[in-house]
Amino acid sequence: MTSTTTRTQLPRDIRCAITLGVDFDGPSHEVGRGIAPLGTHSWGRYSGRCGVPRHIEMLERQGVPCTFFVPGYDAQCYPEIVRAIDEAGFEVAAHGYLHEAWEVPEQEETELLRRTDDILRDLIGKPVLGWRSPSGRKTANTMRVLRSLGYIYDSSDKDYDLPYRLRFGSGGNDWIVELPNNTYSLDDFPFYKFSYTPPSEVLAQWKSEFDAIYASDRFLVLCLHPRSGWGSGTPSRTRVLEQFIEYAKEHDGVRFFSSAQFAQWCLEHPQHLEEASIP
Amino acid sequence: MSRFRWPQGMRCAVFLSINFDAEAFDLRSASEERLFGRFSYGRYGVRAGLPRLMALLERRGIAATVFITASDAQRHPDAVRALHEAGHEIAARGADLTPLPTLGDRQRDALARGRDTLASIIGEPPKGFRAPAGELAPDTLRLLAELGFEYDSSFQDDDHPYVFAATASSRIAEIPRVWALDDSLPFSARHTHARVGRIWREEFDALYREGCLVPLTVHLRGDVGFTRAARIAVLEELLVHMASQSGVTFMTGIELARLALQSGIEPEPDPLLAHKPTLDVTPYRGDLAIKPLA
Repeated sequence: MTSTTTRTQLPRDIRCAITLGVDFDGPSHEVGRGIAPLGTHSWGRYSGRCGVPRHIEMLERQGVPCTFFVPGYDAQCYPEIVRAIDEAGFEVAAHGYLHEAWEVPEQEETELLRRTDDILRDLIGKPVLGWRSPSGRKTANTMRVLRSLGYIYDSSDKDYDLPYRLRFGSGGNDWIVELPNNTYSLDDFPFYKFSYTPPSEVLAQWKSEFDAIYASDRFLVLCLHPRSGWGSGTPSRTRVLEQFIEYAKEHDGVRFFSSAQFAQWCLEHPQHLEEASIP
Repeated sequence: MSRFRWPQGMRCAVFLSINFDAEAFDLRSASEERLFGRFSYGRYGVRAGLPRLMALLERRGIAATVFITASDAQRHPDAVRALHEAGHEIAARGADLTPLPTLGDRQRDALARGRDTLASIIGEPPKGFRAPAGELAPDTLRLLAELGFEYDSSFQDDDHPYVFAATASSRIAEIPRVWALDDSLPFSARHTHARVGRIWREEFDALYREGCLVPLTVHLRGDVGFTRAARIAVLEELLVHMASQSGVTFMTGIELARLALQSGIEPEPDPLLAHKPTLDVTPYRGDLAIKPLA
């Protein structure tokens, strides 16, 4: 049963908020499934070798913030790239250890969340503030552990168009800022993995999403992947992403936030956020 | 690590590779006696597709690299000879299209048979290799080096050729591919040839802009290949567009491999090494791939 307080309403000074999130998805994606990252399965290697550096370069050119959600294992494989993300001023957030796309028993999950947090924090020398579930699986335990680690937001739920306070228990700290995402339309992999859509049509799709959101809820979360195969790390697809950013910028009052910046704003303006108790 | 650079005056190379995949492909789903009807699209590739594609390449003066299994080569030795004599590179693709990781102890023999069958037809051993379905076993790179191959073209992890240290003393070049420039995927999703042409044009323009390798993968087959008359017209238009850009050179796999091997870039360790400790304790979950809901 979902109970809500007031409906989330962004104030007028935020005409439209956009958060860009890049899910690093390096070799962890294959290795976690017991597949060696060789041959066709080397797509994740592209993230560290080409995709993330290309994204950093493009984002710096555009001058917009972005959050990189990094599995702990990939951070161990490409520590210098994770440091480069941080040094360029972008947010490093957590995304599982081996990109666990399966159900993990509670005790093991707790251990993996802590391990990834340790790895990322050691690399960037600052606290990690957010998490996105690899594959979208999570439970109340996940959020409880994230809160105990000091995380302020999650960006994995698919149940709403606006940010909200997600209450997962009755304790004082049993809530987290939720920045919901949609991996069927505001994402790259459905088009590049399933429908083999030309990049120009993906751009048209995202522009159409933006237009509708700009006219209504004014909050947009775009998910990207820097890997080859089904991600946006390659030249044509990074270019489409850049054109999307340019398109959004042409509109009055559009503001780009890192996920942590926006979650921080949510914490400072609780009166604007509805609270949902689930279940 | 020094980055790969194109020679002076070159902006990018187009690597036109052909996956021959004729009956060898249909035999994955049907027995020899059933290579009729829906299982004859591979034969189309040899009877109708290949002459059309060879005529296009001759017309445009382009040398391609043809990856072919021993099974298809034994069936079509005249086609292999004709391709070789027309100046195209003949490269290996194993004994048949059985994924290498499933072969176990028989893998070395399958790779050797792929090499030797081609050598007996064209009079020289092939230098390049592309794995069936791009699937490599843990020891494939090492075996390829031991069998005298100079390059592999199965990975999808870089914008430029690079070099593996396949063993302590041997080097093998990698000419990586990219999924977006493989005709079989959009055609298997039943896209129109106009739409596939649009994808390839957009991909090429962006790769050219950044000076990346342009690895094209064309299939001969009548179902998922680029050789039907209407489709090959789209392919020709694309190749003409690519050739018309300044600084574009068409190169074969072995030309690219030797460029990489002689470029002085530092060889990289076998990518398996870094992941082996984790793989050794991780169960196989390859069936987790996200499938359509319906």
